[in-house]
Amino acid sequence: MANEHSTFKIAFNLAAACFISGIVIGSVYFVTAPVAAQKAEEMKQESMKSLVPEAERFTEVAGHEGWFAAVKNGKTTAYIVPAESKGYGGKIKMLVAVSADDKVIDYSILEHNETPGLGDNAQKPAFRQQFAGKGASLLEVTKDPGNKDNIQAMTGATISSRAVTKGVREAVEAVAAYQAEGGAK
Amino acid sequence: MKELWQIFSKGLIAENPIFILALSLCPALAVTTTVINGLTMGLTVTFVITTNNVVVSIVRKWVNPKVRVPVYITSIATIVTVAQLVLQAYFPVLYKAMGIYLALVVVFAIILARAEVFASKNGVLKSFLDGFGMGCGFTLAMLTIAVIRELFGAGTILGVPVFGEGYEPMLMMILPPGAFILIGYLVAACKTWNARQEEKARIAELKAGKEA
Repeated sequence: MANEHSTFKIAFNLAAACFISGIVIGSVYFVTAPVAAQKAEEMKQESMKSLVPEAERFTEVAGHEGWFAAVKNGKTTAYIVPAESKGYGGKIKMLVAVSADDKVIDYSILEHNETPGLGDNAQKPAFRQQFAGKGASLLEVTKDPGNKDNIQAMTGATISSRAVTKGVREAVEAVAAYQAEGGAK
Repeated sequence: MKELWQIFSKGLIAENPIFILALSLCPALAVTTTVINGLTMGLTVTFVITTNNVVVSIVRKWVNPKVRVPVYITSIATIVTVAQLVLQAYFPVLYKAMGIYLALVVVFAIILARAEVFASKNGVLKSFLDGFGMGCGFTLAMLTIAVIRELFGAGTILGVPVFGEGYEPMLMMILPPGAFILIGYLVAACKTWNARQEEKARIAELKAGKEA
């Protein structure tokens, strides 16, 4: 009986279990990894396409990781840049589309932990459409319902509204600074 | 045959993982905001618990009793990782919606409990049915919660509007407190139903006794 529970046997038992588990996971990963990578790329292209529908293709911007230039008729019409900002429930990661004249086109939220039904309304058109066509100077949150120039805060989610607005503004400023330096050819 | 049916069906209501055993309440609150999320989580857990029960019942004779729990956890973790990889590759949107809760399936008490209580002592067929029944019960519970929450909290079912334009969504149903209150009512309903069934069985027994 003592032999039955020897340390060696126990260790062997565990090692065998882990070995089999490793083989199973490894072989599944071998099959799914390329599919997953392809899907992720497709989703990225699709989300960029929905931000700048008229673009013909998206090229990476050299020197800025994650930046893409939307190209139409050989000319860069917009930039798609990643933005990050601290919201109510943690980081909000976004993709912001900025036109060549430093105005917001649209944005999409990639990751967030905002309150469902309050802060996550930032993804809905009602809030998002306010950003279209605005330059960095107008990207301020207001609670005054009569103020049509700035961004109207979402009901019950001022912090989320401010976070999204800040992220978008920073993206616009980054693109403006980049273009001032010469921009993409 | 009747015994097998009983093994399967006890997970549905009589020993429902969420409503009666009160296990895995965390995902029941977290991912039931929409029907599709609740359903995905339910099916994932069904897959994991059934597969794990089968694996455990097959290897139970070779597993050293001293390390059975680590071995079971390894098995569960492997199956969950496989499910995760498959979801990530073929259903990336759902994978994102599940978030951290998918990885947390590994530590769901209900899965280890079924391995320890049932699969480690029974054959493959019975263990399969036990796991499948428990999984179905879990899915049923997740679906019930998710349907009610999405219906009242967003006015939709599977994203399709039900109440029309004028409906103002009940925000609380989408937030965790709404889920807590709802689960409380559902637990009460299940307990009442179980009590009724027991009462019926007792009366039937008494009658049978009298006649004899």
